[in-house]
Amino acid sequence: MTAAFALSGVSKHYEDFALKDIDLHMPEGQVMGLVGVNGAGKTTLLRILSGLTRADTGSVEVLGHVMPADQVAAKKHIGIASEDMRLFKTQTLRWHMDFIRTIYPDWDEAYAQDLLRRFDLRAGQKLAGFSHGQRVKALLLLNFARRPRLLLLDEPTTGLDPVARDEVLQVLAEVLRDEARSVLFSSHNTQDIEQIADTISFVHQGRLLASKDKEVFIDEWRRILCQGTWEGAGDWPEIAAARRNGSMLELKVRQFSEAIIERLQAQGLEIRSTEAMSLEEIFVTTVRSGAAA
Amino acid sequence: MSAFEINTPVIRQLIVKDWILFQKQLALCVTAGIVALCLIGMAKGWSFYLGSLLLIIVLVSAACFSISTSMLVERKDQTLAFVMSLPVSPLDYYLAKLVGSLITFLAPFLVILVGTVAVILLTPLPDGLLMLALLLFGHVLLAYSVSLCVAMAVESEGWNIFAMVGSMVLINPMIMLIGQIKSISSHFEGDHVVWNAPAISILLTQLIVSIAVLLITGWVHTRKKSFY
Repeated sequence: MTAAFALSGVSKHYEDFALKDIDLHMPEGQVMGLVGVNGAGKTTLLRILSGLTRADTGSVEVLGHVMPADQVAAKKHIGIASEDMRLFKTQTLRWHMDFIRTIYPDWDEAYAQDLLRRFDLRAGQKLAGFSHGQRVKALLLLNFARRPRLLLLDEPTTGLDPVARDEVLQVLAEVLRDEARSVLFSSHNTQDIEQIADTISFVHQGRLLASKDKEVFIDEWRRILCQGTWEGAGDWPEIAAARRNGSMLELKVRQFSEAIIERLQAQGLEIRSTEAMSLEEIFVTTVRSGAAA
Repeated sequence: MSAFEINTPVIRQLIVKDWILFQKQLALCVTAGIVALCLIGMAKGWSFYLGSLLLIIVLVSAACFSISTSMLVERKDQTLAFVMSLPVSPLDYYLAKLVGSLITFLAPFLVILVGTVAVILLTPLPDGLLMLALLLFGHVLLAYSVSLCVAMAVESEGWNIFAMVGSMVLINPMIMLIGQIKSISSHFEGDHVVWNAPAISILLTQLIVSIAVLLITGWVHTRKKSFY
């Protein structure tokens, strides 16, 4: 199967930020959620993939094309929408639709009309009069209606009101039903990522902390509540965080297995409960522990 | 597609886009240029000076509008990332911007240039003035090329404004300098256009430096690392 993208040893240095030694790949047909706090390096990563910026070192391949050398061929099949990407404010959405249609032969006008209705956008309105939410939806419409093989979405739901966010996620979910389509979706909102992604990657301070199948992530992490006294939590690599609350000890465990329960019990701890963790909790714990998930 | 192949259909679309986006300003420049030429053509003292002043303002405005609307506004309004997300390489973008900017600038420039030539040759104004006019048009072309080069190569808005204003304002010293070259200025009030070596040398220098500056810009632009 062709990789939607493959990054190997990619670095990019700015004056006050650096993306360091990123190795990441995604098979075609998958949806990857890129999770990270603001300034983690998500946007830089997406810009490198979309050809908007060149990596200083490493190799980048998108849909089988080497970037940036083959960027024209790759960009024919890439759709990118980012929070800081703007359309021409003196022109109408219809003008933008016609402009994109002349460049992409796969433009689907019927689908564009459907999206116009569902996003409640007016094609005749100039972009200057659009709200932030309408602007994001217009940009997504222009990307979705040309049916790209790879969608790179940088924080598409950030700043949207709940209704607009739901509309965007619904349409995105429909786009994802097409198994030939790949999506890399960045956000600091883990709920959105959890809802639609197959694979999840954590980025923090320019480094890739983890990249795994969503179900594997959820399965591997547990919050264990124990009663008893134990000072050796910091010595176990599986324990990402430990917090004492009165007589209770809360442990956040990566690579969970029944054997860990037995080993904890052997330390004299009484296990009160074992719970699955949300993606947000896993992300926060991973970032705070500073180690790979 | 190799790094030196160009995506002509998309380049064409980008040029058309720039033309559509800026046609109102261009129409305004051409209209103002025609008004200036009418004033000059009246061949009266006050109208000649008023028309000449207006003509210089129109030429400078056309150059500044063309650069700022196609390059600087695109960067400031964050539409550059949208354009560069289309199937274009940095070379395609450079060519589209170069041709688009040249068209949006040269359209009013040539209309006004032809109008100026016609007004000087067909009205009671002395034909010798044509050389002064051509040298001033040559200066505006050179100043435009330098400003376009800076706009493409440097992202700082301050440097871009400095380049545009600085190069255009040099038109005053240029008029004074031409006035000091007697072999050129002594023919301004004559009945014939005098094509002598000093005048042709200056015109050729303006043209060659303009082309060289634009080529260097392309070389610099295709080596840029970020486009957003």
